[in-house]
Amino acid sequence: MIVKEKGASKNSIEALRWLLFIVIALIINLPIIATILTSFKTTADINSSPPIFFFSPTLSNYIEVLFKGNTNLLKYILNSTIIAGGGSILAIFLSFPAAFAMVRHGIGSSWLLPLVTNIRALPLIIYAIPLYLMFQLVGLLDSWLGMILVTATISIPVALVLFVGFIQDIPIEMDEAGRLDGASQRVILWKLIFPMSRPIVIAVFLLSFITSWNEFLFGLILTTKNATPVTIGATFFVTTYGVKWGATAAAMTLSVLPPVILGLFAYPYIGKSMLSGAVKG
Amino acid sequence: MSLNPQTERQQAKKFLYGLCIFLAFMLGFPSLANLWFSFNDVTFHNLTGEGFAGFENYRKALGNPKLWEALGYSLRFGLVATIFEVGIALFMVFTLHPLLLRKPWLTAVLMLPIMVSPALMGIMYRLILNEFTGIIPGYLNLLGFHVTLMSRSMIQYTVIAIEVLQWTPFAFIILLTARQSLPYELEEAAAIDGAMGLKYSLRIVLPLISPAIYIVTFIRFIDSFRVFDHIFVLTGGGPGSRTTSISIYIYKLFFQRSELGESVALSFVLLVVSLTLLYFGLKLVVRKEQS
Repeated sequence: MIVKEKGASKNSIEALRWLLFIVIALIINLPIIATILTSFKTTADINSSPPIFFFSPTLSNYIEVLFKGNTNLLKYILNSTIIAGGGSILAIFLSFPAAFAMVRHGIGSSWLLPLVTNIRALPLIIYAIPLYLMFQLVGLLDSWLGMILVTATISIPVALVLFVGFIQDIPIEMDEAGRLDGASQRVILWKLIFPMSRPIVIAVFLLSFITSWNEFLFGLILTTKNATPVTIGATFFVTTYGVKWGATAAAMTLSVLPPVILGLFAYPYIGKSMLSGAVKG
Repeated sequence: MSLNPQTERQQAKKFLYGLCIFLAFMLGFPSLANLWFSFNDVTFHNLTGEGFAGFENYRKALGNPKLWEALGYSLRFGLVATIFEVGIALFMVFTLHPLLLRKPWLTAVLMLPIMVSPALMGIMYRLILNEFTGIIPGYLNLLGFHVTLMSRSMIQYTVIAIEVLQWTPFAFIILLTARQSLPYELEEAAAIDGAMGLKYSLRIVLPLISPAIYIVTFIRFIDSFRVFDHIFVLTGGGPGSRTTSISIYIYKLFFQRSELGESVALSFVLLVVSLTLLYFGLKLVVRKEQS
C-alpha cells in the first residue's frame, strides 16, 4: 500500500488481513482438506467421535480403491484423461484458426463470435436430449469419441475468446514480415502466429482440460460403462461402498487432484478470460 | 512479394470451416432435431414419430405445474446464490487486496474450490456433513448445536450454501483482476485528496470496477440458474421436488419418466427464452460498461 499507515495500527491491520485470509481459505477448502485427511484414516479413526486431527496415516484406502476388488477407478481416470485431453486439443485446433481469421480478416467476428460466446451461457440440458438421441443413432453413445466431441464443444467458447484477445495484441507487422516473403495465410497462421501464441495455447489447454475433467451432466447421460469419466465413476463409490468412507475419500482425492494441480497454473487466466470475453463478445 | 488481399481473404475463410462444420454438427443439427421432435408424437420405441402432434407437446410441457415450480426454484436459487457470492467476493477484494498484491501466490489457495468438479464437491460435502462420521456435525455437536444439515428442512439452505462456498472464489478472481488493473497513480491521487481506506474503496474503487461487477453478477446468475451437478448428487432433486432445478426437472422428465415429447418441447422453449434473455442481458451489461 502506498498510503502510509502508522506503525502499530499498520501491523494489527496486517495481522487482521492474514487472519481473515486463513479463515476464508480454511472454510472454502474444508471439504477438500477433510476428504484428503479422511482418505489416510483407518475406519476406526474415521468413526471416532469427536473427529480427530492427529492419527497415524494409512495407505490402505488407496490400495483398496486402486488394486483390490472390482473397482474401476483406474479405468475412469484413464477415460477422463483421454476425454479431457482429446476435447481440449480438438477445441484448440478448431478455435485457433477461426480466431485468426476473425482478428486479421474480420471474417465471422460479427456473428460467429457472439454466437459462440453465448453457448457458454446456455443451460446444457437443452442439448443433452437431442445429443443423446443423435449419438444413439450414429453409435457414439458410451464412446471416447462421443465424449471428446462434447467436451470440445463446451471448451470452444472460452478458447475462442482467449485466442481472439491474444492475437489482437500481436502486432500486425509480424504478419507483414511473412507476407513480404510471399507466405500464404496458412503458413503465417501455423508457422508464425501459432508458435508465438504458445503461452495462451497452454493456458487454454489447462482451462479446457479442467472444465472437461469436471463435466458431469453429459458423462451421466452419454456414458454407461466403457467411457465413464471419473466424475460419474466416483459417485458409484458412495452407493457401492455404502459406509466405507475411507475408500470413498481416497477415490475422491484421486479424482479431484489432477484438475486442482493444473488449476494452480491456470487460475490467473480465469479472470482475464471472463473480462475480455464480455468486453469483446 | 506478397499475395493480393483478395486471395488472402479467400485463404482465411477456410480457417472458419472446421469450427462452423463442427458447431453445425454438435449444436445446429441437435437444435433442428429438437424442433422437429417437439412437433411430433415421438416415443422411445418410435423415434420417427407417430405423426404430427402440433402444439400438443408444448401444451403439455407448459401446462405442467411442476415446471413452474422448478423454474421458480432455479430463479430463487440463482438470485440468492449470486447475491451472496458477489457480496462476499467484494468484501474479500476490499479486505484482502493489499495482502494479495504483495503475496500473489496466496490467491491460488483461494482458487482451489473452483477447480473441483461440482459433482465431486457435492460428494465431499456429503462426507463432511454425514450425521455420524462427518466433521461438521461432529464439531457442532461438541459445541452444543444439534442440527442435521442434510435433513429435509435444512437441505435447501445447504445446497445454496455449497454453491456459494464453491463459486465465491470465481466472483472473487474476476473482481480482483479488475481491481488490480486499476492504475497505481489513482491511489496516490486519492491519498492526496484525503480519500483513504473505506472511503477510497467505496467512493472510488467501487464505481471503477462496476463493469466487472455487472459481468460477474450476470455470469454467476446464469451458472447458478442452470445448476445440476451438486444438487443431483446430494438430493436428486428431493425431498419431493423441493430442490428440483429446471435442469434436473428436464433430466427427470426425459430419463426417468420417459416423457420424450414434453421434454424436447421444453428444451426448445428454454433454448429460445435463454437466447432472447442473453441477447438483452448482454446488451444491458455492455451498455452499462460503456457509459
